Amino acid sequence: MLLLSIIYLVSWFNTEMSVPSLIDGWDHMRSYIVGNPEIKGSSFFPPSFIVSDIRLYAKAMFETIEMAVVALFLSIAVGFPLSLVASRNILKILIPGRGWIARGLRRSIYSSAMLVANVFRSINEIVWALLFVSAVGLGPMAGILALGVHTSGVLCKLLAEGNEAIDPGPVEALTATGASFPKIIVYAVLPQTMPHFVSMVLYRFESDVRSASILGFVGAGGIGFYLFDKVRAFENADVTTIIFIIVVTVWLIDRLSAVIRKKFI
Amino acid sequence: MISFDAVNLGYSEVPILENISFHVGKGEFLGIIGLSGAGKSTLLMSIIGNIRVLKGRYQVFGHDLSFINKRDLRELRSRIGFIFQGYNLVNRLSVLHNVMSGMLKDISLGRALIKFYTKQEVDKAYEYMEVVGIEHLAMKRCDELSGGQRQRVAIARALAQEPNVLLADEPVAALDPKSAAQVMDVLRRVNETYGVTVISNLHHLDFAREYCSRIIGVAAGSIAFDGLPGELQNCHLDTIYENNVPAAEEKKTTNSIQTIRGFPEKSHQEQEVYDPMVIAA
Repeated sequence: MLLLSIIYLVSWFNTEMSVPSLIDGWDHMRSYIVGNPEIKGSSFFPPSFIVSDIRLYAKAMFETIEMAVVALFLSIAVGFPLSLVASRNILKILIPGRGWIARGLRRSIYSSAMLVANVFRSINEIVWALLFVSAVGLGPMAGILALGVHTSGVLCKLLAEGNEAIDPGPVEALTATGASFPKIIVYAVLPQTMPHFVSMVLYRFESDVRSASILGFVGAGGIGFYLFDKVRAFENADVTTIIFIIVVTVWLIDRLSAVIRKKFI
Repeated sequence: MISFDAVNLGYSEVPILENISFHVGKGEFLGIIGLSGAGKSTLLMSIIGNIRVLKGRYQVFGHDLSFINKRDLRELRSRIGFIFQGYNLVNRLSVLHNVMSGMLKDISLGRALIKFYTKQEVDKAYEYMEVVGIEHLAMKRCDELSGGQRQRVAIARALAQEPNVLLADEPVAALDPKSAAQVMDVLRRVNETYGVTVISNLHHLDFAREYCSRIIGVAAGSIAFDGLPGELQNCHLDTIYENNVPAAEEKKTTNSIQTIRGFPEKSHQEQEVYDPMVIAA
Protein backbone atom coordinates (compact mmCIF):
# COMPACT_ATOMS: atom_id res chain seq x y z
CA MET A 1 0.00 0.00 0.00
CA LEU A 2 2.82 2.34 0.96
CA LEU A 3 4.68 1.37 -2.19
CA LEU A 4 1.61 2.10 -4.30
CA SER A 5 1.24 5.52 -2.69
CA ILE A 6 4.89 6.33 -3.35
CA ILE A 7 4.61 5.25 -6.98
CA TYR A 8 1.51 7.36 -7.34
CA LEU A 9 2.96 10.49 -5.73
CA VAL A 10 6.23 10.30 -7.65
CA SER A 11 4.34 9.90 -10.90
CA TRP A 12 2.01 12.78 -10.01
CA PHE A 13 4.84 15.24 -9.42
CA ASN A 14 7.04 14.06 -12.27
CA THR A 15 4.24 14.58 -14.76
CA GLU A 16 3.57 18.06 -13.33
CA MET A 17 -0.04 17.32 -12.51
CA SER A 18 -1.62 20.18 -10.62
CA VAL A 19 -5.16 20.94 -9.60
CA PRO A 20 -4.64 24.75 -9.50
CA SER A 21 -3.68 24.90 -13.17
CA LEU A 22 -6.90 23.12 -14.07
CA ILE A 23 -8.87 25.65 -11.99
CA ASP A 24 -6.90 28.58 -13.46
CA GLY A 25 -7.32 27.30 -16.99
CA TRP A 26 -11.01 26.51 -16.62
CA ASP A 27 -11.99 29.84 -18.17
CA HIS A 28 -9.80 29.20 -21.21
CA MET A 29 -11.56 25.92 -21.82
CA ARG A 30 -14.91 27.59 -21.42
CA SER A 31 -14.03 30.28 -23.94
CA TYR A 32 -12.72 27.61 -26.35
CA ILE A 33 -16.01 25.74 -26.12
CA VAL A 34 -18.13 28.90 -26.41
CA GLY A 35 -15.96 30.21 -29.23
CA ASN A 36 -15.72 33.71 -30.59
CA PRO A 37 -19.24 35.12 -30.84
CA GLU A 38 -18.17 37.25 -33.81
CA ILE A 39 -17.16 34.26 -35.93
CA LYS A 40 -19.99 32.01 -37.03
CA GLY A 41 -19.51 28.32 -36.30
CA SER A 42 -16.59 28.79 -33.90
CA SER A 43 -18.68 27.65 -30.94
CA PHE A 44 -19.13 23.92 -30.21
CA PHE A 45 -22.82 24.59 -29.59
CA PRO A 46 -25.10 24.51 -31.40
CA PRO A 47 -23.69 21.89 -33.74
CA SER A 48 -23.71 22.55 -37.43
CA PHE A 49 -26.76 21.20 -39.25
CA ILE A 50 -25.91 21.76 -42.89
CA VAL A 51 -27.41 18.74 -44.64
CA SER A 52 -24.78 18.46 -47.36
CA ASP A 53 -22.03 18.50 -44.72
CA ILE A 54 -23.76 15.89 -42.59
CA ARG A 55 -24.10 13.71 -45.69
CA LEU A 56 -20.38 14.14 -46.33
CA TYR A 57 -19.51 13.19 -42.74
CA ALA A 58 -21.87 10.22 -42.78
CA LYS A 59 -20.20 9.01 -45.93
CA ALA A 60 -16.80 9.39 -44.29
CA MET A 61 -18.08 7.56 -41.22
CA PHE A 62 -19.29 4.76 -43.47
CA GLU A 63 -15.84 4.60 -45.03
CA THR A 64 -14.41 4.42 -41.53
CA ILE A 65 -16.60 1.41 -40.72
CA GLU A 66 -15.60 -0.23 -43.99
CA MET A 67 -11.97 0.27 -43.07
CA ALA A 68 -12.60 -1.38 -39.72
CA VAL A 69 -14.38 -4.32 -41.40
CA VAL A 70 -11.56 -5.00 -43.85
CA ALA A 71 -8.96 -4.50 -41.13
CA LEU A 72 -10.83 -6.86 -38.80
CA PHE A 73 -10.81 -9.72 -41.31
CA LEU A 74 -7.17 -9.08 -41.99
CA SER A 75 -6.37 -9.20 -38.30
CA ILE A 76 -8.38 -12.39 -37.75
CA ALA A 77 -6.57 -14.01 -40.66
CA VAL A 78 -3.23 -13.16 -39.07
CA GLY A 79 -4.12 -13.09 -35.38
CA PHE A 80 -6.06 -16.35 -35.12
CA PRO A 81 -3.37 -18.70 -36.45
CA LEU A 82 -0.81 -16.74 -34.49
CA SER A 83 -2.90 -17.17 -31.33
CA LEU A 84 -2.83 -20.95 -31.80
CA VAL A 85 0.95 -21.09 -31.71
CA ALA A 86 0.99 -18.54 -28.90
CA SER A 87 -0.99 -20.91 -26.65
CA ARG A 88 1.08 -23.44 -24.79
CA ASN A 89 -1.65 -26.06 -24.61
CA ILE A 90 -2.39 -25.88 -28.35
CA LEU A 91 1.32 -26.16 -29.16
CA LYS A 92 1.37 -29.34 -27.11
CA ILE A 93 -1.20 -30.86 -29.47
CA LEU A 94 0.79 -29.77 -32.50
CA ILE A 95 4.14 -30.90 -31.13
CA PRO A 96 3.56 -33.57 -28.50
CA GLY A 97 6.29 -35.18 -26.50
CA ARG A 98 8.43 -34.52 -23.47
CA GLY A 99 11.83 -34.84 -25.14
CA TRP A 100 14.15 -31.85 -25.20
CA ILE A 101 13.70 -31.40 -28.97
CA ALA A 102 9.92 -31.16 -28.68
CA ARG A 103 10.16 -28.89 -25.66
CA GLY A 104 12.73 -26.61 -27.26
CA LEU A 105 10.74 -26.41 -30.47
CA ARG A 106 7.57 -25.56 -28.55
CA ARG A 107 9.34 -22.90 -26.52
CA SER A 108 10.96 -21.25 -29.54
CA ILE A 109 7.72 -21.20 -31.55
CA TYR A 110 5.83 -19.85 -28.56
CA SER A 111 8.34 -17.08 -27.89
CA SER A 112 8.61 -16.01 -31.51
CA ALA A 113 4.81 -15.87 -31.86
CA MET A 114 4.64 -13.84 -28.65
CA LEU A 115 7.40 -11.53 -29.86
CA VAL A 116 5.64 -10.86 -33.17
CA ALA A 117 2.34 -10.26 -31.39
CA ASN A 118 3.93 -7.92 -28.88
CA VAL A 119 5.64 -5.85 -31.55
CA PHE A 120 2.38 -5.59 -33.52
CA ARG A 121 0.46 -4.68 -30.42
CA SER A 122 2.78 -2.30 -28.63
CA ILE A 123 3.16 0.04 -31.61
CA ASN A 124 0.16 2.30 -31.77
CA GLU A 125 -2.16 2.36 -34.80
CA ILE A 126 -1.20 5.97 -35.52
CA VAL A 127 2.48 5.05 -35.73
CA TRP A 128 1.71 2.09 -37.97
CA ALA A 129 -0.45 4.42 -40.07
CA LEU A 130 2.46 6.87 -40.48
CA LEU A 131 4.66 4.00 -41.63
CA PHE A 132 2.08 2.66 -44.07
CA VAL A 133 1.24 6.14 -45.42
CA SER A 134 4.86 6.43 -46.41
CA ALA A 135 4.57 3.06 -48.18
CA VAL A 136 1.19 3.12 -49.92
CA GLY A 137 0.41 6.83 -49.83
CA LEU A 138 -2.50 8.76 -48.32
CA GLY A 139 -5.89 7.09 -48.09
CA PRO A 140 -7.86 4.36 -46.37
CA MET A 141 -5.51 1.54 -47.40
CA ALA A 142 -2.75 2.79 -45.11
CA GLY A 143 -5.29 3.01 -42.30
CA ILE A 144 -6.56 -0.51 -42.96
CA LEU A 145 -3.07 -1.95 -42.88
CA ALA A 146 -2.26 -0.04 -39.71
CA LEU A 147 -5.39 -1.25 -37.95
CA GLY A 148 -4.92 -4.77 -39.30
CA VAL A 149 -1.39 -5.09 -37.98
CA HIS A 150 -2.09 -3.59 -34.56
CA THR A 151 -5.32 -5.55 -34.07
CA SER A 152 -3.77 -8.86 -35.10
CA GLY A 153 -1.30 -8.38 -32.27
CA VAL A 154 -4.07 -7.61 -29.82
CA LEU A 155 -6.30 -10.44 -31.05
CA CYS A 156 -3.42 -12.88 -30.84
CA LYS A 157 -2.99 -12.11 -27.17
CA LEU A 158 -6.71 -12.10 -26.34
CA LEU A 159 -7.49 -15.29 -28.27
CA ALA A 160 -4.43 -17.08 -26.90
CA GLU A 161 -5.68 -16.37 -23.39
CA GLY A 162 -9.01 -17.92 -24.38
CA ASN A 163 -7.26 -20.93 -25.92
CA GLU A 164 -5.24 -21.54 -22.80
CA ALA A 165 -8.37 -21.52 -20.66
CA ILE A 166 -10.14 -24.37 -22.45
CA ASP A 167 -11.03 -27.66 -20.80
CA PRO A 168 -8.29 -30.08 -21.90
CA GLY A 169 -10.67 -33.07 -21.70
CA PRO A 170 -12.14 -32.98 -25.21
CA VAL A 171 -8.69 -32.39 -26.68
CA GLU A 172 -7.41 -35.42 -24.83
CA ALA A 173 -10.39 -37.44 -26.03
CA LEU A 174 -9.92 -36.49 -29.67
CA THR A 175 -6.19 -37.07 -29.51
CA ALA A 176 -7.01 -40.53 -28.22
CA THR A 177 -9.19 -41.18 -31.30
CA GLY A 178 -6.19 -40.46 -33.51
CA ALA A 179 -7.63 -37.26 -35.01
CA SER A 180 -5.18 -34.90 -36.74
CA PHE A 181 -4.28 -31.41 -35.48
CA PRO A 182 -6.70 -29.36 -37.64
CA LYS A 183 -9.57 -31.69 -36.77
CA ILE A 184 -8.82 -31.39 -33.07
CA ILE A 185 -8.87 -27.60 -33.44
CA VAL A 186 -12.21 -27.68 -35.26
CA TYR A 187 -13.93 -30.21 -32.98
CA ALA A 188 -12.41 -29.74 -29.56
CA VAL A 189 -10.89 -26.25 -29.38
CA LEU A 190 -13.06 -23.95 -31.51
CA PRO A 191 -16.41 -25.04 -30.07
CA GLN A 192 -15.08 -24.22 -26.63
CA THR A 193 -13.48 -20.88 -27.49
CA MET A 194 -16.30 -19.68 -29.75
CA PRO A 195 -18.08 -17.42 -27.22
CA HIS A 196 -14.76 -15.85 -26.22
CA PHE A 197 -13.70 -15.55 -29.86
CA VAL A 198 -16.91 -13.81 -30.91
CA SER A 199 -16.86 -11.51 -27.94
CA MET A 200 -13.24 -10.48 -28.48
CA VAL A 201 -13.64 -9.99 -32.22
CA LEU A 202 -16.71 -7.82 -31.71
CA TYR A 203 -14.92 -5.78 -29.06
CA ARG A 204 -11.98 -5.28 -31.39
CA PHE A 205 -14.33 -4.27 -34.20
CA GLU A 206 -15.81 -1.59 -32.01
CA SER A 207 -12.41 -0.33 -30.98
CA ASP A 208 -11.18 -0.50 -34.60
CA VAL A 209 -14.02 1.83 -35.56
CA ARG A 210 -12.97 4.20 -32.79
CA SER A 211 -9.33 4.07 -33.81
CA ALA A 212 -10.16 4.36 -37.50
CA SER A 213 -11.98 7.60 -36.77
CA ILE A 214 -8.73 9.30 -35.78
CA LEU A 215 -6.41 7.64 -38.30
CA GLY A 216 -7.43 10.42 -40.69
CA PHE A 217 -5.25 12.73 -38.56
CA VAL A 218 -2.22 11.32 -40.36
CA GLY A 219 -3.97 11.08 -43.69
CA ALA A 220 -4.92 7.44 -43.44
CA GLY A 221 -8.54 7.82 -44.49
CA GLY A 222 -11.89 7.87 -42.72
CA ILE A 223 -13.79 10.51 -40.84
CA GLY A 224 -10.66 11.56 -38.90
CA PHE A 225 -9.53 13.62 -41.86
CA TYR A 226 -12.55 15.94 -41.48
CA LEU A 227 -12.31 15.93 -37.72
CA PHE A 228 -8.69 17.04 -37.78
CA ASP A 229 -9.38 19.57 -40.50
CA LYS A 230 -12.26 21.18 -38.56
CA VAL A 231 -10.36 21.16 -35.26
CA ARG A 232 -7.48 23.01 -36.83
CA ALA A 233 -9.74 25.50 -38.58
CA PHE A 234 -11.63 26.20 -35.32
CA GLU A 235 -14.88 25.27 -37.06
CA ASN A 236 -16.08 23.85 -33.81
CA ALA A 237 -19.76 23.50 -34.67
CA ASP A 238 -18.72 20.97 -37.29
CA VAL A 239 -16.45 19.23 -34.79
CA THR A 240 -19.47 18.67 -32.52
CA THR A 241 -21.45 17.24 -35.43
CA ILE A 242 -18.65 14.84 -36.32
CA ILE A 243 -18.15 13.74 -32.72
CA PHE A 244 -21.88 13.20 -32.42
CA ILE A 245 -21.86 11.00 -35.55
CA ILE A 246 -18.95 8.95 -34.17
CA VAL A 247 -20.58 8.50 -30.76
CA VAL A 248 -23.89 7.39 -32.27
CA THR A 249 -22.14 4.95 -34.60
CA VAL A 250 -20.08 3.40 -31.82
CA TRP A 251 -23.20 3.12 -29.67
CA LEU A 252 -25.07 1.39 -32.51
CA ILE A 253 -22.19 -1.05 -33.03
CA ASP A 254 -22.16 -1.77 -29.33
CA ARG A 255 -25.87 -2.62 -29.37
CA LEU A 256 -25.43 -4.79 -32.45
CA SER A 257 -22.51 -6.62 -30.82
CA ALA A 258 -24.59 -7.36 -27.75
CA VAL A 259 -27.24 -8.98 -29.96
CA ILE A 260 -24.70 -11.06 -31.88
CA ARG A 261 -22.86 -12.08 -28.72
CA LYS A 262 -26.04 -13.44 -27.17
CA LYS A 263 -26.40 -15.90 -30.04
CA PHE A 264 -22.99 -17.44 -29.32
CA ILE A 265 -23.19 -18.34 -25.65
CA MET B 1 -3.89 -58.04 -29.25
CA ILE B 2 -2.06 -56.33 -26.45
CA SER B 3 0.97 -57.93 -24.92
CA PHE B 4 3.28 -56.73 -22.20
CA ASP B 5 6.54 -58.58 -21.74
CA ALA B 6 8.51 -57.47 -18.66
CA VAL B 7 7.71 -53.84 -19.43
CA ASN B 8 8.73 -50.76 -17.44
CA LEU B 9 6.66 -47.63 -18.06
CA GLY B 10 7.11 -44.03 -17.00
CA TYR B 11 6.76 -40.36 -17.94
CA SER B 12 10.44 -39.70 -17.35
CA GLU B 13 13.34 -42.06 -16.72
CA VAL B 14 11.78 -43.05 -13.40
CA PRO B 15 9.46 -46.01 -13.95
CA ILE B 16 5.92 -45.76 -12.59
CA LEU B 17 5.06 -49.33 -13.51
CA GLU B 18 7.68 -52.04 -13.31
CA ASN B 19 8.00 -55.49 -14.75
CA ILE B 20 4.51 -55.68 -16.21
CA SER B 21 3.72 -58.88 -18.11
CA PHE B 22 0.32 -59.92 -19.37
CA HIS B 23 -1.62 -60.48 -22.58
CA VAL B 24 -5.08 -59.37 -23.51
CA GLY B 25 -6.99 -61.34 -26.12
CA LYS B 26 -9.97 -60.46 -28.29
CA GLY B 27 -13.36 -60.16 -26.60
CA GLU B 28 -12.11 -60.02 -23.03
CA PHE B 29 -13.72 -57.79 -20.43
CA LEU B 30 -10.76 -56.90 -18.28
CA GLY B 31 -11.08 -54.99 -15.03
CA ILE B 32 -8.10 -53.26 -13.45
CA ILE B 33 -8.34 -52.61 -9.74
CA GLY B 34 -6.01 -50.93 -7.29
CA LEU B 35 -5.48 -47.91 -5.10
CA SER B 36 -5.42 -44.43 -6.57
CA GLY B 37 -1.87 -43.71 -7.61
CA ALA B 38 -1.02 -47.38 -7.97
CA GLY B 39 -0.61 -46.93 -11.71
CA LYS B 40 -3.97 -48.03 -13.12
CA SER B 41 -4.42 -44.96 -15.30
CA THR B 42 -0.78 -45.09 -16.37
CA LEU B 43 -1.38 -48.64 -17.51
CA LEU B 44 -4.39 -47.60 -19.60
CA MET B 45 -2.70 -44.50 -21.01
CA SER B 46 0.27 -46.59 -22.08
CA ILE B 47 -1.96 -48.61 -24.40
CA ILE B 48 -2.62 -45.52 -26.54
CA GLY B 49 1.07 -44.66 -26.50
CA ASN B 50 0.93 -41.74 -24.09
CA ILE B 51 3.69 -43.06 -21.88
CA ARG B 52 7.28 -43.96 -22.56
CA VAL B 53 8.27 -47.58 -22.66
CA LEU B 54 11.48 -47.73 -20.64
CA LYS B 55 12.19 -51.42 -20.83
CA GLY B 56 10.75 -54.64 -22.21
CA ARG B 57 8.66 -55.61 -25.22
CA TYR B 58 5.30 -53.93 -25.51
CA GLN B 59 3.07 -54.66 -28.47
CA VAL B 60 -0.37 -53.34 -29.36
CA PHE B 61 -1.95 -54.75 -32.55
CA GLY B 62 1.50 -55.89 -33.59
CA HIS B 63 3.03 -52.40 -33.30
CA ASP B 64 5.99 -52.22 -30.98
CA LEU B 65 5.31 -49.17 -28.82
CA SER B 66 8.99 -48.51 -28.18
CA PHE B 67 9.61 -47.61 -31.80
CA ILE B 68 6.24 -46.45 -33.10
CA ASN B 69 6.14 -43.44 -35.45
CA LYS B 70 3.55 -40.66 -35.40
CA ARG B 71 1.47 -41.99 -38.28
CA ASP B 72 1.30 -45.53 -36.93
CA LEU B 73 0.43 -44.15 -33.52
CA ARG B 74 -2.50 -42.23 -34.98
CA GLU B 75 -3.64 -45.34 -36.80
CA LEU B 76 -3.34 -47.37 -33.62
CA ARG B 77 -5.24 -44.79 -31.59
CA SER B 78 -8.05 -44.74 -34.13
CA ARG B 79 -8.63 -48.44 -33.38
CA ILE B 80 -8.85 -47.86 -29.65
CA GLY B 81 -11.79 -46.12 -28.02
CA PHE B 82 -11.11 -44.26 -24.79
CA ILE B 83 -13.69 -43.42 -22.14
CA PHE B 84 -12.77 -40.92 -19.43
CA GLN B 85 -14.02 -40.43 -15.91
CA GLY B 86 -14.79 -36.78 -16.70
CA TYR B 87 -16.51 -37.73 -20.03
CA ASN B 88 -14.40 -35.16 -21.94
CA LEU B 89 -17.22 -34.11 -24.22
CA VAL B 90 -17.50 -30.72 -25.88
CA ASN B 91 -20.35 -29.27 -23.88
CA ARG B 92 -21.31 -26.61 -26.37
CA LEU B 93 -21.86 -29.13 -29.17
CA SER B 94 -24.86 -31.39 -29.66
CA VAL B 95 -24.78 -35.07 -28.77
CA LEU B 96 -24.75 -35.93 -32.47
CA HIS B 97 -21.68 -33.77 -33.16
CA ASN B 98 -19.90 -35.26 -30.19
CA VAL B 99 -20.60 -38.78 -31.42
CA MET B 100 -19.52 -37.74 -34.91
CA SER B 101 -16.18 -36.55 -33.58
CA GLY B 102 -15.36 -40.22 -33.00
CA MET B 103 -15.51 -40.81 -36.77
CA LEU B 104 -13.11 -38.00 -37.65
CA LYS B 105 -10.43 -40.29 -39.02
CA ASP B 106 -12.77 -41.26 -41.90
CA ILE B 107 -14.01 -37.73 -42.58
CA SER B 108 -11.89 -35.56 -44.84
CA LEU B 109 -10.56 -32.32 -43.41
CA GLY B 110 -12.71 -30.21 -45.72
CA ARG B 111 -15.90 -31.92 -44.59
CA ALA B 112 -14.79 -31.80 -40.97
CA LEU B 113 -14.28 -28.04 -41.22
CA ILE B 114 -17.85 -27.39 -42.37
CA LYS B 115 -19.24 -30.30 -40.32
CA PHE B 116 -20.80 -31.96 -43.35
CA TYR B 117 -21.66 -35.64 -42.92
CA THR B 118 -23.09 -38.20 -45.34
CA LYS B 119 -26.40 -39.88 -44.58
CA GLN B 120 -24.56 -43.14 -44.00
CA GLU B 121 -22.41 -41.56 -41.32
CA VAL B 122 -25.38 -39.99 -39.57
CA ASP B 123 -27.21 -43.34 -39.65
CA LYS B 124 -24.20 -45.01 -38.12
CA ALA B 125 -24.06 -42.40 -35.37
CA TYR B 126 -27.74 -43.05 -34.61
CA GLU B 127 -27.09 -46.77 -34.47
CA TYR B 128 -24.44 -46.25 -31.78
CA MET B 129 -26.61 -43.80 -29.89
CA GLU B 130 -29.30 -46.51 -29.85
CA VAL B 131 -26.85 -49.04 -28.45
CA VAL B 132 -26.22 -46.78 -25.47
CA GLY B 133 -29.85 -45.60 -25.34
CA ILE B 134 -29.50 -41.87 -26.00
CA GLU B 135 -30.85 -41.57 -29.56
CA HIS B 136 -33.70 -39.36 -28.32
CA LEU B 137 -31.15 -36.83 -27.06
CA ALA B 138 -29.25 -36.51 -30.36
CA MET B 139 -29.99 -32.81 -30.87
CA LYS B 140 -29.51 -31.73 -27.26
CA ARG B 141 -26.41 -29.88 -26.19
CA CYS B 142 -24.20 -31.93 -23.92
CA ASP B 143 -24.33 -29.40 -21.09
CA GLU B 144 -28.05 -30.19 -20.75
CA LEU B 145 -27.45 -33.86 -19.93
CA SER B 146 -26.96 -35.72 -16.68
CA GLY B 147 -23.69 -37.43 -15.77
CA GLY B 148 -24.89 -40.91 -16.73
CA GLN B 149 -26.20 -39.64 -20.06
CA ARG B 150 -22.93 -37.85 -20.77
CA GLN B 151 -20.92 -40.98 -20.07
CA ARG B 152 -23.14 -42.86 -22.51
CA VAL B 153 -22.53 -40.15 -25.13
CA ALA B 154 -18.82 -40.68 -24.54
CA ILE B 155 -19.26 -44.42 -25.08
CA ALA B 156 -21.20 -43.77 -28.29
CA ARG B 157 -18.38 -41.52 -29.45
CA ALA B 158 -15.86 -44.24 -28.71
CA LEU B 159 -18.04 -46.77 -30.59
CA ALA B 160 -18.19 -44.43 -33.58
CA GLN B 161 -14.49 -45.09 -33.97
CA GLU B 162 -15.39 -48.76 -34.58
CA PRO B 163 -12.66 -49.72 -32.14
CA ASN B 164 -11.16 -53.12 -31.55
CA VAL B 165 -10.48 -52.19 -27.97
CA LEU B 166 -12.37 -49.95 -25.60
CA LEU B 167 -10.41 -48.47 -22.71
CA ALA B 168 -12.33 -46.97 -19.82
CA ASP B 169 -10.61 -44.94 -17.12
CA GLU B 170 -12.88 -45.02 -14.05
CA PRO B 171 -15.96 -44.74 -16.23
CA VAL B 172 -18.44 -44.85 -13.36
CA ALA B 173 -16.51 -43.25 -10.52
CA ALA B 174 -18.41 -39.97 -10.72
CA LEU B 175 -21.85 -41.51 -11.18
CA ASP B 176 -24.62 -42.49 -8.79
CA PRO B 177 -25.16 -46.26 -8.36
CA LYS B 178 -28.08 -46.46 -10.79
CA SER B 179 -26.38 -44.56 -13.63
CA ALA B 180 -23.18 -46.46 -12.91
CA ALA B 181 -24.96 -49.79 -13.38
CA GLN B 182 -26.52 -48.50 -16.61
CA VAL B 183 -23.13 -47.50 -17.96
CA MET B 184 -21.61 -50.84 -16.97
CA ASP B 185 -24.52 -52.62 -18.69
CA VAL B 186 -23.79 -50.65 -21.85
CA LEU B 187 -20.13 -51.66 -21.69
CA ARG B 188 -21.13 -55.30 -21.29
CA ARG B 189 -23.53 -55.03 -24.24
CA VAL B 190 -20.79 -53.51 -26.39
CA ASN B 191 -18.44 -56.28 -25.33
CA GLU B 192 -20.95 -59.00 -26.16
CA THR B 193 -22.60 -57.59 -29.31
CA TYR B 194 -19.59 -56.19 -31.09
CA GLY B 195 -16.93 -58.45 -29.61
CA VAL B 196 -14.99 -55.37 -28.59
CA THR B 197 -12.33 -55.98 -25.97
CA VAL B 198 -13.04 -53.81 -22.94
CA ILE B 199 -10.35 -52.81 -20.46
CA SER B 200 -11.61 -50.76 -17.56
CA ASN B 201 -10.21 -49.27 -14.38
CA LEU B 202 -12.72 -49.76 -11.62
CA HIS B 203 -13.01 -48.55 -8.08
CA HIS B 204 -16.03 -50.65 -7.24
CA LEU B 205 -15.02 -54.23 -6.60
CA ASP B 206 -18.64 -55.29 -6.94
CA PHE B 207 -18.68 -54.10 -10.52
CA ALA B 208 -15.36 -55.73 -11.26
CA ARG B 209 -16.65 -59.04 -9.93
CA GLU B 210 -20.00 -58.81 -11.67
CA TYR B 211 -19.02 -57.58 -15.11
CA CYS B 212 -15.43 -58.53 -15.82
CA SER B 213 -14.25 -61.80 -17.30
CA ARG B 214 -10.81 -61.21 -15.85
CA ILE B 215 -9.35 -58.97 -13.18
CA ILE B 216 -5.89 -57.48 -12.82
CA GLY B 217 -4.89 -55.95 -9.52
CA VAL B 218 -2.21 -53.27 -9.54
CA ALA B 219 -0.32 -52.39 -6.37
CA ALA B 220 2.62 -50.03 -5.98
CA GLY B 221 3.56 -50.09 -9.64
CA SER B 222 3.40 -53.80 -10.33
CA ILE B 223 0.82 -56.49 -10.91
CA ALA B 224 -0.38 -58.16 -7.72
CA PHE B 225 -3.19 -60.28 -9.13
CA ASP B 226 -4.19 -61.59 -12.54
CA GLY B 227 -7.03 -64.03 -12.82
CA LEU B 228 -10.74 -64.78 -12.94
CA PRO B 229 -13.06 -62.80 -10.68
CA GLY B 230 -13.83 -66.01 -8.76
CA GLU B 231 -10.19 -66.46 -7.89
CA LEU B 232 -9.91 -63.07 -6.24
CA GLN B 233 -9.49 -63.77 -2.54
CA ASN B 234 -9.27 -61.52 0.47
CA CYS B 235 -5.53 -62.09 0.71
CA HIS B 236 -5.17 -60.66 -2.81
CA LEU B 237 -7.28 -57.68 -1.90
CA ASP B 238 -5.11 -57.06 1.11
CA THR B 239 -2.00 -56.89 -1.06
CA ILE B 240 -3.71 -54.73 -3.65
CA TYR B 241 -5.27 -52.24 -1.29
CA GLU B 242 -2.78 -52.15 1.57
CA ASN B 243 0.56 -51.88 -0.12
CA ASN B 244 2.47 -48.68 0.51
CA VAL B 245 0.01 -47.37 3.04
CA PRO B 246 1.63 -45.90 6.14
CA ALA B 247 1.03 -48.00 9.27
CA ALA B 248 -1.03 -45.30 10.95
CA GLU B 249 -3.48 -45.32 8.06
CA GLU B 250 -3.79 -49.04 7.90
CA LYS B 251 -6.81 -49.46 10.10
CA LYS B 252 -8.73 -46.80 8.27
CA THR B 253 -7.91 -48.41 4.94
CA THR B 254 -9.19 -51.79 5.99
CA ASN B 255 -12.44 -50.20 7.03
CA SER B 256 -12.70 -48.48 3.71
CA ILE B 257 -12.21 -51.70 1.83
CA GLN B 258 -15.29 -53.03 3.56
CA THR B 259 -17.16 -50.04 2.25
CA ILE B 260 -16.11 -50.35 -1.33
CA ARG B 261 -16.92 -54.03 -1.54
CA GLY B 262 -20.54 -53.05 -1.51
CA PHE B 263 -22.15 -49.73 -2.14
CA PRO B 264 -21.81 -47.36 0.75
CA GLU B 265 -24.54 -47.04 3.32
CA LYS B 266 -27.19 -44.51 2.56
CA SER B 267 -26.03 -41.90 5.05
CA HIS B 268 -22.63 -41.82 3.40
CA GLN B 269 -23.89 -42.07 -0.11
CA GLU B 270 -23.32 -38.48 -1.24
CA GLN B 271 -19.83 -38.32 0.06
CA GLU B 272 -18.83 -41.78 -1.11
CA VAL B 273 -20.21 -41.44 -4.58
CA TYR B 274 -18.40 -38.20 -5.23
CA ASP B 275 -15.27 -39.27 -3.49
CA PRO B 276 -14.53 -42.73 -4.75
CA MET B 277 -10.89 -42.26 -3.78
CA VAL B 278 -11.92 -42.81 -0.20
CA ILE B 279 -9.94 -46.01 -0.10
CA ALA B 280 -6.79 -44.02 -0.61
CA ALA B 281 -7.53 -41.73 2.30
